[in-house]
Amino acid sequence: MHIMEGFLPWQWCLIWWLVALPCLALGVYQLKKVLAQDREALPLLGICGGFVFILSSLKLPSVTGSCSHPTGTGLSSIFFGPWITSVIGVIVLLFQALFLAHGGLSTLGANTVSMGIAGPLAGWCIYRGLRDTKVSMFITVFLACAFADLFTYVVTSLELALAYPAQVGGVGSSFVVFMGIFAVTQVPLAILESVILVLVFKYIVQLRPGILIRLKVFPETTIMATRSDA
Amino acid sequence: MLRKYRFEILVIIAILAFCILFLYTSSVIGHAGFAGSDDVGSSQISKITGIPEENFHPLIWQWVPPSAEIESALFALQAALGGIIVGWIFGYWKGLKDQGKG
Repeated sequence: MHIMEGFLPWQWCLIWWLVALPCLALGVYQLKKVLAQDREALPLLGICGGFVFILSSLKLPSVTGSCSHPTGTGLSSIFFGPWITSVIGVIVLLFQALFLAHGGLSTLGANTVSMGIAGPLAGWCIYRGLRDTKVSMFITVFLACAFADLFTYVVTSLELALAYPAQVGGVGSSFVVFMGIFAVTQVPLAILESVILVLVFKYIVQLRPGILIRLKVFPETTIMATRSDA
Repeated sequence: MLRKYRFEILVIIAILAFCILFLYTSSVIGHAGFAGSDDVGSSQISKITGIPEENFHPLIWQWVPPSAEIESALFALQAALGGIIVGWIFGYWKGLKDQGKG
């Protein structure tokens, strides 16, 4: 999903930076608030950031004959919401832009919007929509993580389609082509990533249920019932 | 027993299925180069605009790893950093739980 340095016109770079910056500012504000209220949130944040670091470094082959990488942002969006996740996302993307020439500083805004904001926002919406229903906690986590991953690539496709509309068919036609490249490759990877993150979530429930209860991630009764069951 | 480790079993099945699908794809799609989707996306931009890829220049100067080997080493470093953080915190939490502070 990384748009490479120089592959986005400066006007679009500017627009996506303008979209990303307020979200990042809100994320930093929320992060300070959460950590001031509960210092135990810090290790949980570390786990979320750690998994984004690990998963976004893995270029995995997909059934479509191309390679891509998971994003790992789903867990963070469930625990902390999309804005704090945008801060984690921009740190990882900055590391990759500076040391790996993967993405770039001018395209960092666009990449942050797709991987750090839009994807996690989609995952968070799925999570919030299912949290208070009878759907299992683990299925909710699975779906939220999968959509956070997939939607990242949908938004990358949109960003590129807006910047480079096809001569025939315009933005829509270009969007379909980029979706074919990014999103289709991503489907099996999103499923694999989500299954792994569900397992990570299970371990967190087993080891530190208290922090999840205090953060109101799921109702206490659900977490404690699942803890004894898992 | 099976119920207790159902997620671990599910992860193993998912990884195995993923590996089998990869092997099947790589043998069926003869031309599958398994290029990175980011690179394929960049090629598509080149096709749409008609501008060769080498003519896209960075808007902001960027350090590029001098070789693919160094790039892969840096990617491994990124994964290792994440792994150290995750491993340390899970270990810390396990220690707290074992001491009855969980």
